[in-house]
Amino acid sequence: MSAESVYTIVDDLGALLLFTMILILAAGQIYRAIYAVAAQSLLIAIAGGVLATATGNVDLWVIAGVTLGVKAIALPWVLLWVVRRMNVRREVEPVIPVAATLTLAVMVVVMSFHVSASLGSVRHAITGNALPVGIALTLLGVLVMATRKTALHQMVGLFASENGIFFTAMAVTQGMPLIIEIGVILDVILAALVMAIMVLRVRSTVDADIASLDRLRG
Amino acid sequence: MTGESPLGLVLLEMAVLVVLGPLVTGIIQKLKARLQCRQGAAVLQPYRDLAKLFRKGTVQADTASGFFWWIPVLVLAATVAAGALVPVVRTGPSAFPLGDALMLLGLLALARFLTAIGALDAGGAFGGMGASREMTIAPLVEPVLMMVVFSTAVAAGTTELGALAAQRGTSWILDWHAADFLGFAAMLVLLPSETGRIPVDNPDTHLELTMLHEGMLLEHSGPGLGCMALASHTRQIVTLGLVSALFFPVAADGADATGLLLGAGAFAAKILVLATYLALVESSYAKLRLFRVPQYLAIGFVCALTALALRIL
Repeated sequence: MSAESVYTIVDDLGALLLFTMILILAAGQIYRAIYAVAAQSLLIAIAGGVLATATGNVDLWVIAGVTLGVKAIALPWVLLWVVRRMNVRREVEPVIPVAATLTLAVMVVVMSFHVSASLGSVRHAITGNALPVGIALTLLGVLVMATRKTALHQMVGLFASENGIFFTAMAVTQGMPLIIEIGVILDVILAALVMAIMVLRVRSTVDADIASLDRLRG
Repeated sequence: MTGESPLGLVLLEMAVLVVLGPLVTGIIQKLKARLQCRQGAAVLQPYRDLAKLFRKGTVQADTASGFFWWIPVLVLAATVAAGALVPVVRTGPSAFPLGDALMLLGLLALARFLTAIGALDAGGAFGGMGASREMTIAPLVEPVLMMVVFSTAVAAGTTELGALAAQRGTSWILDWHAADFLGFAAMLVLLPSETGRIPVDNPDTHLELTMLHEGMLLEHSGPGLGCMALASHTRQIVTLGLVSALFFPVAADGADATGLLLGAGAFAAKILVLATYLALVESSYAKLRLFRVPQYLAIGFVCALTALALRIL
């Protein structure tokens, strides 16, 4: 593949990643957000595959495979399992209205493009629009974490944010050392397991949500 | 086919759109029925409904003013005029100044405005409710449609629909830029709203709590109602034509008969694909609560704005 077509494909994948991110932000029900984040991870895996073909970096193939297996299949499955197990209200409970979140999201996207545009010549050394898209994904993931009350939804935000970092790292450096990527993935799995266990435990012992855990009592 | 299109061709295309509008509605209804394991009415049913309406007499509310009689005619005229701006078999600019995509959206907005005015004029409670709802939704949809048009127009350097379609070229997704994906996504979100379908509006219901567009037609009867129905069929196919001109490739180059035939076939295929999408969405989603609609439309807004940001920044 020529460098030109790789740029185009990574750009297109970036647009689709932004679209899945918007779906996560606007999802009215928790399982839709989970499906959207799974689709996002799938797109990340495809981006990894494309970059691997382009650069001939074998590590990227491994990372694409691990992303596909862990983040696109295993983790969403765990989340859906927790949703079923907990029998929670399926509706999303936002801190601020979803429309306000979406407005904030627009500002974040425009800002990350603006900031990246100011980089000038550095930006042209980087694959297409990957840097602004990656920054936007990371910040929007944080936005999801900040504006949702339930722990499950915050996990979805964490995964989305992590996807953003992954995408930036892959596109900008054309593949980080394998050991770092594996470490990051292990961190995410660990975080997911800890949070899943915590959510289930908290639920089963005190029947409370994360939002109620905002005060210390002596 | 690229090139300048003469007046005759434009008028012919406009007539084709008006004639085929009810057929598209019929196809969507048939598809929906099949998806729900029903036999469904024949594809030609909308034509029969129209023929029946045009044979009937008119009953008008006592409170309606003289202007009320003109409403259906004006709505139909505005919508049909919008149809003239949609490229069907031709691409490329027309041979004479005709108007662009903004003109098309403006004419559709005019038709919507007149429909709402008519509903208020008759003085019925449902008409007023339908009008107020429609006018709540419209300002959320129209700017986003314009932004989608702009996001493609920025790349092509023109807002003339024929030229935009010519710019799209003959290649398929390979030719799409990142912004096109987001623009198309925004368009897919907006399509059900613009054609008055689930999840925003339900074209089949006459239940007072759920209807938007149908509520505004309650006071019309006979040929007037026929005009309004024909206008909404035409509006649907015009919107689908707008989407296919903005995002789908053209079939072939060449101004001869083969080119025309190929163009017509490709147009039919594109409209069919979009009609199938509408039928699928309508069969698999429930109608949204009215207060959830802005949230749904906000997805389209964010997508369109991001598409513009990708284009400009």
